[in-house]
Amino acid sequence: MVSLNAVLVISFLLFSIGIAGVLIRRNALIILMCVELMLNAANLNFIAFARHSGSASGQAFALLVMGFAAAEVAVGLALVVALYRRRDTVQVDDINLLKG
Amino acid sequence: MEHFIETIGRNMFAIFGVLALVGALLMIGARSAIHSVLGFLFAMLNIAGCFLALEAEFLGVAQILVYAGGIVVLFLFVVMLVEMSKKHEGEVFQLQSRYAVLAVAGGVALFLGVFRKAIFGAPSPEALVLRPELAKGLDVAHQNAQAVSRGLFADYLLPFEILSVILLVALVGAVVLAKTERV
Repeated sequence: MVSLNAVLVISFLLFSIGIAGVLIRRNALIILMCVELMLNAANLNFIAFARHSGSASGQAFALLVMGFAAAEVAVGLALVVALYRRRDTVQVDDINLLKG
Repeated sequence: MEHFIETIGRNMFAIFGVLALVGALLMIGARSAIHSVLGFLFAMLNIAGCFLALEAEFLGVAQILVYAGGIVVLFLFVVMLVEMSKKHEGEVFQLQSRYAVLAVAGGVALFLGVFRKAIFGAPSPEALVLRPELAKGLDVAHQNAQAVSRGLFADYLLPFEILSVILLVALVGAVVLAKTERV
Protein backbone atom coordinates (compact mmCIF):
# COMPACT_ATOMS: atom_id res chain seq x y z
CA MET A 1 0.00 0.00 0.00
CA VAL A 2 1.26 3.45 -0.91
CA SER A 3 1.87 5.52 2.19
CA LEU A 4 -0.38 8.51 2.60
CA ASN A 5 2.55 10.82 3.26
CA ALA A 6 4.14 10.07 -0.11
CA VAL A 7 0.91 10.99 -1.88
CA LEU A 8 0.55 14.16 0.15
CA VAL A 9 4.08 15.29 -0.65
CA ILE A 10 3.76 14.59 -4.39
CA SER A 11 0.41 16.34 -4.50
CA PHE A 12 1.70 19.32 -2.56
CA LEU A 13 4.69 19.68 -4.88
CA LEU A 14 2.43 19.51 -7.93
CA PHE A 15 0.22 22.19 -6.40
CA SER A 16 3.23 24.41 -5.67
CA ILE A 17 4.48 24.04 -9.24
CA GLY A 18 1.00 25.05 -10.40
CA ILE A 19 1.02 28.14 -8.19
CA ALA A 20 4.52 29.05 -9.34
CA GLY A 21 3.43 28.71 -12.96
CA VAL A 22 0.40 30.93 -12.44
CA LEU A 23 2.59 33.55 -10.80
CA ILE A 24 5.56 33.58 -13.18
CA ARG A 25 4.20 32.94 -16.68
CA ARG A 26 2.89 35.67 -18.96
CA ASN A 27 1.02 33.43 -21.40
CA ALA A 28 -2.66 33.06 -20.50
CA LEU A 29 -2.79 29.56 -22.00
CA ILE A 30 -0.01 28.31 -19.75
CA ILE A 31 -1.69 29.92 -16.74
CA LEU A 32 -4.83 27.91 -17.58
CA MET A 33 -2.76 24.73 -17.77
CA CYS A 34 -1.29 25.49 -14.36
CA VAL A 35 -4.80 25.82 -12.93
CA GLU A 36 -5.59 22.39 -14.38
CA LEU A 37 -2.46 21.04 -12.70
CA MET A 38 -3.61 22.37 -9.33
CA LEU A 39 -7.02 20.73 -9.76
CA ASN A 40 -5.24 17.47 -10.50
CA ALA A 41 -3.17 17.78 -7.35
CA ALA A 42 -6.41 18.13 -5.40
CA ASN A 43 -7.76 15.05 -7.19
CA LEU A 44 -4.70 13.09 -6.15
CA ASN A 45 -5.44 13.97 -2.54
CA PHE A 46 -9.08 12.95 -2.91
CA ILE A 47 -8.07 9.57 -4.26
CA ALA A 48 -5.38 9.00 -1.65
CA PHE A 49 -7.82 9.72 1.18
CA ALA A 50 -10.47 7.55 -0.47
CA ARG A 51 -7.94 4.74 -0.63
CA HIS A 52 -6.96 5.14 2.99
CA SER A 53 -10.44 5.62 4.38
CA GLY A 54 -11.75 2.60 2.54
CA SER A 55 -14.71 4.33 0.93
CA ALA A 56 -15.20 5.29 -2.69
CA SER A 57 -16.76 8.69 -2.00
CA GLY A 58 -13.46 10.43 -2.63
CA GLN A 59 -13.15 8.78 -6.01
CA ALA A 60 -16.68 9.84 -6.93
CA PHE A 61 -15.83 13.40 -5.99
CA ALA A 62 -12.60 13.24 -7.96
CA LEU A 63 -14.68 12.33 -11.00
CA LEU A 64 -16.90 15.35 -10.34
CA VAL A 65 -13.81 17.56 -10.09
CA MET A 66 -12.61 16.19 -13.42
CA GLY A 67 -15.87 17.18 -15.10
CA PHE A 68 -15.69 20.59 -13.48
CA ALA A 69 -12.14 21.02 -14.79
CA ALA A 70 -13.33 20.22 -18.30
CA ALA A 71 -16.05 22.89 -18.05
CA GLU A 72 -13.54 25.38 -16.69
CA VAL A 73 -11.04 24.78 -19.47
CA ALA A 74 -13.76 25.19 -22.13
CA VAL A 75 -14.81 28.57 -20.75
CA GLY A 76 -11.20 29.63 -20.16
CA LEU A 77 -10.09 28.82 -23.68
CA ALA A 78 -13.15 30.59 -25.11
CA LEU A 79 -12.13 33.65 -23.07
CA VAL A 80 -8.57 33.43 -24.39
CA VAL A 81 -9.80 33.22 -27.98
CA ALA A 82 -12.17 36.16 -27.48
CA LEU A 83 -9.35 38.14 -25.89
CA TYR A 84 -7.04 37.35 -28.78
CA ARG A 85 -9.65 38.51 -31.29
CA ARG A 86 -10.11 41.79 -29.47
CA ARG A 87 -6.61 42.65 -28.26
CA ASP A 88 -4.40 40.55 -30.57
CA THR A 89 -2.41 39.14 -27.65
CA VAL A 90 -2.57 36.42 -25.02
CA GLN A 91 0.19 37.86 -22.82
CA VAL A 92 -1.42 38.87 -19.55
CA ASP A 93 0.94 41.81 -19.12
CA ASP A 94 -0.46 43.47 -22.23
CA ILE A 95 -4.01 43.26 -20.94
CA ASN A 96 -4.43 46.28 -18.67
CA LEU A 97 -7.87 47.63 -19.49
CA LEU A 98 -8.70 48.12 -15.82
CA LYS A 99 -5.43 49.87 -14.99
CA GLY A 100 -6.05 53.46 -13.94
CA MET B 1 16.20 -9.23 -12.38
CA GLU B 2 13.12 -10.44 -10.53
CA HIS B 3 14.17 -8.45 -7.53
CA PHE B 4 14.53 -5.36 -9.75
CA ILE B 5 11.04 -5.80 -11.21
CA GLU B 6 9.61 -6.33 -7.75
CA THR B 7 11.24 -3.14 -6.51
CA ILE B 8 9.78 -1.20 -9.43
CA GLY B 9 6.34 -2.66 -8.77
CA ARG B 10 6.48 -1.63 -5.15
CA ASN B 11 7.59 1.91 -5.94
CA MET B 12 5.27 2.47 -8.88
CA PHE B 13 3.60 5.46 -7.25
CA ALA B 14 6.88 7.21 -6.51
CA ILE B 15 8.10 6.69 -10.08
CA PHE B 16 4.93 8.08 -11.62
CA GLY B 17 4.83 10.92 -9.11
CA VAL B 18 8.40 12.04 -9.82
CA LEU B 19 7.77 11.84 -13.57
CA ALA B 20 4.63 13.96 -13.10
CA LEU B 21 6.71 16.54 -11.26
CA VAL B 22 9.23 16.52 -14.12
CA GLY B 23 6.43 17.06 -16.63
CA ALA B 24 5.00 19.92 -14.58
CA LEU B 25 8.41 21.59 -14.36
CA LEU B 26 8.86 21.23 -18.13
CA MET B 27 5.44 22.80 -18.52
CA ILE B 28 6.18 25.95 -16.56
CA GLY B 29 9.74 26.23 -17.88
CA ALA B 30 9.25 25.76 -21.61
CA ARG B 31 9.70 28.79 -23.83
CA SER B 32 7.16 27.91 -26.49
CA ALA B 33 3.54 27.12 -25.71
CA ILE B 34 3.61 23.89 -27.74
CA HIS B 35 6.38 22.47 -25.57
CA SER B 36 4.42 23.58 -22.55
CA VAL B 37 1.37 21.63 -23.74
CA LEU B 38 3.54 18.55 -24.27
CA GLY B 39 4.88 18.85 -20.72
CA PHE B 40 1.28 19.17 -19.52
CA LEU B 41 0.36 16.00 -21.42
CA PHE B 42 3.30 14.14 -19.87
CA ALA B 43 2.31 15.29 -16.38
CA MET B 44 -1.32 14.28 -16.90
CA LEU B 45 -0.40 10.79 -18.14
CA ASN B 46 1.84 10.27 -15.15
CA ILE B 47 -0.87 11.47 -12.78
CA ALA B 48 -3.10 8.84 -14.39
CA GLY B 49 -0.37 6.35 -13.53
CA CYS B 50 -0.45 7.61 -9.94
CA PHE B 51 -4.21 7.00 -9.88
CA LEU B 52 -3.63 3.45 -11.09
CA ALA B 53 -0.99 2.92 -8.42
CA LEU B 54 -3.52 4.10 -5.83
CA GLU B 55 -5.93 1.42 -7.13
CA ALA B 56 -8.36 3.86 -8.67
CA GLU B 57 -8.48 2.11 -12.04
CA PHE B 58 -11.62 3.76 -13.34
CA LEU B 59 -10.34 7.23 -12.56
CA GLY B 60 -6.95 6.48 -14.11
CA VAL B 61 -8.55 5.55 -17.41
CA ALA B 62 -10.97 8.47 -17.18
CA GLN B 63 -8.01 10.78 -16.57
CA ILE B 64 -6.29 9.58 -19.74
CA LEU B 65 -9.50 9.91 -21.76
CA VAL B 66 -10.50 13.34 -20.47
CA TYR B 67 -7.08 14.98 -20.38
CA ALA B 68 -5.03 13.34 -23.13
CA GLY B 69 -8.07 12.87 -25.34
CA GLY B 70 -9.97 16.07 -24.73
CA ILE B 71 -8.28 18.87 -22.87
CA VAL B 72 -4.81 18.59 -24.40
CA VAL B 73 -6.28 18.52 -27.91
CA LEU B 74 -8.35 21.60 -27.05
CA PHE B 75 -5.22 23.36 -25.78
CA LEU B 76 -3.28 22.42 -28.90
CA PHE B 77 -6.02 23.82 -31.13
CA VAL B 78 -6.05 27.11 -29.26
CA VAL B 79 -2.24 27.28 -29.31
CA MET B 80 -2.36 26.83 -33.08
CA LEU B 81 -5.04 29.51 -33.40
CA VAL B 82 -3.33 32.00 -31.15
CA GLU B 83 0.39 31.44 -31.04
CA MET B 84 1.31 30.67 -34.63
CA SER B 85 0.55 34.16 -35.86
CA LYS B 86 2.53 35.73 -33.03
CA LYS B 87 4.83 38.44 -34.23
CA HIS B 88 6.65 39.66 -31.17
CA GLU B 89 8.77 37.19 -29.21
CA GLY B 90 8.65 38.90 -25.85
CA GLU B 91 9.83 38.00 -22.41
CA VAL B 92 8.52 34.63 -21.20
CA PHE B 93 8.38 35.25 -17.47
CA GLN B 94 6.73 37.98 -15.45
CA LEU B 95 8.71 40.79 -13.89
CA GLN B 96 7.96 39.63 -10.38
CA SER B 97 8.85 36.00 -11.08
CA ARG B 98 11.89 36.05 -8.82
CA TYR B 99 9.80 37.02 -5.80
CA ALA B 100 7.09 34.56 -6.78
CA VAL B 101 9.58 31.68 -6.98
CA LEU B 102 11.05 32.73 -3.64
CA ALA B 103 7.60 32.81 -2.04
CA VAL B 104 6.64 29.39 -3.39
CA ALA B 105 9.99 27.91 -2.36
CA GLY B 106 9.44 29.34 1.11
CA GLY B 107 6.04 27.68 1.26
CA VAL B 108 7.48 24.35 0.17
CA ALA B 109 10.23 24.61 2.78
CA LEU B 110 7.69 25.41 5.50
CA PHE B 111 5.53 22.43 4.53
CA LEU B 112 8.47 20.06 4.45
CA GLY B 113 9.64 21.45 7.80
CA VAL B 114 6.26 20.79 9.38
CA PHE B 115 5.99 17.30 7.91
CA ARG B 116 9.66 16.43 8.33
CA LYS B 117 9.11 13.82 10.99
CA ALA B 118 6.18 12.22 9.19
CA ILE B 119 8.06 12.01 5.90
CA PHE B 120 11.63 11.24 6.81
CA GLY B 121 11.12 9.66 10.22
CA ALA B 122 10.60 5.99 10.91
CA PRO B 123 7.65 4.52 8.99
CA SER B 124 4.59 3.72 11.05
CA PRO B 125 4.18 0.00 11.70
CA GLU B 126 0.85 -0.39 9.92
CA ALA B 127 -0.75 1.58 7.14
CA LEU B 128 -3.36 4.09 8.21
CA VAL B 129 -6.88 2.92 7.46
CA LEU B 130 -9.48 5.19 8.97
CA ARG B 131 -12.44 2.84 8.74
CA PRO B 132 -11.18 -0.71 8.26
CA GLU B 133 -14.66 -2.25 8.31
CA LEU B 134 -15.55 -0.26 5.20
CA ALA B 135 -12.32 -1.20 3.46
CA LYS B 136 -13.07 -4.85 4.06
CA GLY B 137 -16.65 -4.74 2.83
CA LEU B 138 -16.21 -2.46 -0.13
CA ASP B 139 -13.17 -4.10 -1.73
CA VAL B 140 -12.34 -1.03 -3.78
CA ALA B 141 -9.59 -2.77 -5.72
CA HIS B 142 -11.78 -5.46 -7.24
CA GLN B 143 -14.93 -3.53 -7.99
CA ASN B 144 -13.62 -0.06 -8.52
CA ALA B 145 -16.10 1.06 -11.17
CA GLN B 146 -19.03 -0.32 -9.17
CA ALA B 147 -17.89 1.44 -6.02
CA VAL B 148 -17.41 4.74 -7.85
CA SER B 149 -20.79 4.47 -9.54
CA ARG B 150 -22.49 3.77 -6.24
CA GLY B 151 -20.87 6.87 -4.80
CA LEU B 152 -21.73 8.94 -7.86
CA PHE B 153 -25.31 7.87 -8.54
CA ALA B 154 -26.54 7.01 -5.05
CA ASP B 155 -24.72 9.03 -2.41
CA TYR B 156 -23.83 12.12 -4.43
CA LEU B 157 -26.60 12.33 -6.99
CA LEU B 158 -27.31 16.01 -6.37
CA PRO B 159 -23.72 17.19 -6.99
CA PHE B 160 -23.69 15.04 -10.11
CA GLU B 161 -26.82 16.73 -11.46
CA ILE B 162 -25.47 20.16 -10.54
CA LEU B 163 -22.32 19.30 -12.48
CA SER B 164 -24.39 18.46 -15.54
CA VAL B 165 -26.05 21.89 -15.33
CA ILE B 166 -22.60 23.50 -14.95
CA LEU B 167 -21.40 21.66 -18.06
CA LEU B 168 -24.43 22.89 -20.01
CA VAL B 169 -23.83 26.48 -18.90
CA ALA B 170 -20.14 26.17 -19.80
CA LEU B 171 -21.04 24.83 -23.23
CA VAL B 172 -23.40 27.71 -23.99
CA GLY B 173 -21.00 30.22 -22.47
CA ALA B 174 -18.05 28.98 -24.50
CA VAL B 175 -20.05 29.22 -27.73
CA VAL B 176 -21.25 32.74 -26.90
CA LEU B 177 -17.77 33.91 -25.88
CA ALA B 178 -15.91 32.49 -28.85
CA LYS B 179 -18.32 33.27 -31.67
CA THR B 180 -17.36 35.93 -34.16
CA GLU B 181 -19.00 39.33 -34.16
CA ARG B 182 -20.48 39.29 -37.64
CA VAL B 183 -22.63 36.16 -37.25
